[in-house]
Amino acid sequence: MAEKLSSEQKEIIQEFIQECIDLLDHLEPTIIGFEEFTKQGPFLPTLESVPVMDEVFRLFHSVKGSAGFLNFSFMASTAHAAENLLDQIRKGQQPMTNEHVDLFCQTIDFMREVLGYVAANLNDRGMEEPARVLASQLQAEIGGGSSGGSVAGQAPAKAPAAVAEPVISVPDLAITPELVNAFLQEATEQLQEVEEGLLVWSKDSENKEVVAELFRKIHSFKGNCGFLGFRDLERLSHRMETVLDAMKSGIAPANAKPADALLNLCDVLKNSLADISQKGQGQIDGLDLYLELLADFIPGGQDNDSSVQTPRVGEILVDSGVITPETLFEALDIQKKPLGEVLVGMGAASLEQVDSALVEQEKFKGISGGEQAHPAASLKRPDIRVDLDKIDTLIDLIGEMVIAENMLIHSPDLAGLVLENFSKASQQMSKLVKELQEVAMTIRMIPVAGLFNRMTRLVHDLARKSGKKADLVLVGMETELDKTVIEKITDPLVHLIRNSMDHALENPEERLAAGKKETGIVRLAASHEEGEVWIRIDDDGRGLNREKILKKAKEKGLVQGDGSELSDKDVSALIFLPGFSTADKVTDVSGRGVGMDVVKQNLNQIDGKIDIDSKPGIGTKIVLRIPLTMAIIDGMLVRVGDVRYIIPILSIRESFRPAAKAITVSPEGQELVRVRDRLFPVLRLHRLHKITPASELLDEGILVLLENQGRNVCLFVDEILGQQQTVIKGLSEYIGKIGQVRCVSGCTILSDGEVCLILEVRGLTDIAEGAD
Amino acid sequence: MAEEKYREETEDDWADDNEDTQKDKYLTFHLAKEDYGIEIRFVTEIIGIQRITEVPDMPDFLKGVINLRGKVIPVMDVRSRFHMEAREYDERTCIIVVNINNTSIGLVVDKVQEVVDIPESQVEAAPEKARGKRSRFLQGMGKVNDEVKILLNVEQLLYEEELAQLEEIAPAA
Repeated sequence: MAEKLSSEQKEIIQEFIQECIDLLDHLEPTIIGFEEFTKQGPFLPTLESVPVMDEVFRLFHSVKGSAGFLNFSFMASTAHAAENLLDQIRKGQQPMTNEHVDLFCQTIDFMREVLGYVAANLNDRGMEEPARVLASQLQAEIGGGSSGGSVAGQAPAKAPAAVAEPVISVPDLAITPELVNAFLQEATEQLQEVEEGLLVWSKDSENKEVVAELFRKIHSFKGNCGFLGFRDLERLSHRMETVLDAMKSGIAPANAKPADALLNLCDVLKNSLADISQKGQGQIDGLDLYLELLADFIPGGQDNDSSVQTPRVGEILVDSGVITPETLFEALDIQKKPLGEVLVGMGAASLEQVDSALVEQEKFKGISGGEQAHPAASLKRPDIRVDLDKIDTLIDLIGEMVIAENMLIHSPDLAGLVLENFSKASQQMSKLVKELQEVAMTIRMIPVAGLFNRMTRLVHDLARKSGKKADLVLVGMETELDKTVIEKITDPLVHLIRNSMDHALENPEERLAAGKKETGIVRLAASHEEGEVWIRIDDDGRGLNREKILKKAKEKGLVQGDGSELSDKDVSALIFLPGFSTADKVTDVSGRGVGMDVVKQNLNQIDGKIDIDSKPGIGTKIVLRIPLTMAIIDGMLVRVGDVRYIIPILSIRESFRPAAKAITVSPEGQELVRVRDRLFPVLRLHRLHKITPASELLDEGILVLLENQGRNVCLFVDEILGQQQTVIKGLSEYIGKIGQVRCVSGCTILSDGEVCLILEVRGLTDIAEGAD
Repeated sequence: MAEEKYREETEDDWADDNEDTQKDKYLTFHLAKEDYGIEIRFVTEIIGIQRITEVPDMPDFLKGVINLRGKVIPVMDVRSRFHMEAREYDERTCIIVVNINNTSIGLVVDKVQEVVDIPESQVEAAPEKARGKRSRFLQGMGKVNDEVKILLNVEQLLYEEELAQLEEIAPAA
């Protein structure tokens, strides 16, 4: 491949990388699942395990295929070797062992590495050495099974047919709906590209590069079709490939211009794909005719087997001598409109002629029967890729709409009016807006499942390396988080899991000695709590070493005295102090500090918080608390003096007007209120924010009991105004630069257009705690 | 409606604007007894005074935040920034919305006057004597006919403390 790649080629490579990464992400947990099989020693495939293996087999195969077309020979050869090995195992020619699983994991790692390399350099030439090592390892495992297996440095060689020709074994493979979907998506994209390429080519027939590219695309399309057993698609695309090959090598008949004919065939392929998406078999009516049509462009021709079924309008017109082939191709160039219309427009055929041709075509369709029940059904794609900016704009606009709607419905002009129709309409509107809001919020959200699955691999590797035994329990996989948030917490999660595995979990012997089960448990759970998403990483290991941490903290002067008055929680929190453990080691194994820095920093970037709680000998619990980014919360509107605030409803336990005798004042002046046998500190919002309240007397206002993580505070306000949907907006960055606002998490715009601050309950409880 | 239309028109004008047409143009406003000017390229719009929501724990000059068509922007009282005597807001009081480094901020001034051309040749450096605390905000003195406009450095006006801090750090490093 030439050093200089066109932008389209780069795009293909990028798509290839993306596709491969998706495949690898999807399959990594499956491969790890193999471990289950090999736990009891070498393993022979059983009825349940074969479909799983088939899935992995298909992965390797499709990676091999795609990599091969793009000339990433090292990647292809490795995939090929892995494929062969798995094939042998699958067929029961040799049992699967732990080593095999590791080898497959290594292959996956290697592929990721190559993909990274390819992304940077657009070729895989630098990967020769690792590829050779890995391939030879795989070859060694394959043993005598396949002498013809490829050696690194070559493009995938022809291996024994039984192994390398997956089409033959297709009936054995369970083709899942997901697989078909993935195929359809990819195939549609490929066809789209082919079509674009053909359009370029039809304008610039000297462009050999385009032809070569088209050839590759059609080839990979063919490969996919063949793999899934869509024979008709395969045959047709194979013929298209042959034509392109002939054009490429310049042996095609002179002045042949197959571009338009190929374009036409792309439509046929698309129809067939649409049929598959409707659960059809993708059969192509008139396949032979199409094959024949293309034979004209191939030197030497092909045997003709004409069983005409549904010829196209254009062909019929050509046949009946109304137009010449050239006119037809010309017309195809402007194929935006239905062909017939174009022909009429060009004056090449009269309206009547086209009509009669259409009637004739209908007849043919009638003959060919119900096979093509929905010929016009367009292929449905389950997803589209959208620019994140666009989504953000959409979400912003919807936020504005919520505010505007509030302003409209609560407009002061309407006060006191009885408007039956208006209130009906406005209710309807509110419902719609709310739904719209919910949908918009989900657009950016993706489940944490993908992220969690990756951790499975991490735990597996670390356990293998350290000789520990560990089970990773995943909970709340369906919990959704903003995409950028997921990206930000990936690294922290890796560090935390690594810590748990490296430091917290003990060796099997130690565990047994401590009366624990031999296999340690790391639990990764995601859930919605208090308007945040909590990600918990719990282990049942030895816990943090309080003494060591304290000693280090004292050395650094972070703790005065002997620190004995600090709770375990406080001590644990020390490890997150900046610079705490970077200089020295907290535990004897390795530095806990660097990783914790990353954790802290990344979480800060998304406004997240981290809590750690560790009990010696019992385990460590770490909670990452992540705010829902684009949040619309339910808020309670309260008033103090002439200032209004929003309190997140999720944090409110109750609100009440206190009786005078329920209030006690401590000697330090701290007011406490008794609520059913419990005393809570009172915080006067007007003092905190220096406002003149309606009344200073507690029994003339309202106390709102707030809770945050088991800590409570009673907030004193003048009155409660009501509940409302609140779109959270950040206070300007500028404000963050010139000062720190206490106890305010953001602001919102009220129905009268005024800005209103949102109280941060955590800050309030902290203050109350400090005042204790 | 009229306001809406006006805004559309001005926005159209903005699209045509380039650096050249904004050069040497200053928006002038009145504060206490003096006329001030800021470079027009920072100004996005001028709005009448509206209710300002106070933000606690802020320096005095930061009056609070306002809702500017769905965007929450902070508002600075220029009088109190210059430690001048506070004055009741009236119907002439305006908020000049400026945009610096993609941050919008409103500046409360006594009244907005006009846009004037002050070519570079007509701008004098701020007088040596005034290099006190206040002069940090000054870009120069602009002469228009026989009047003098005090030209403000908007960036300093907003970030004076921060910039000063940076300067302190720089020589030390």
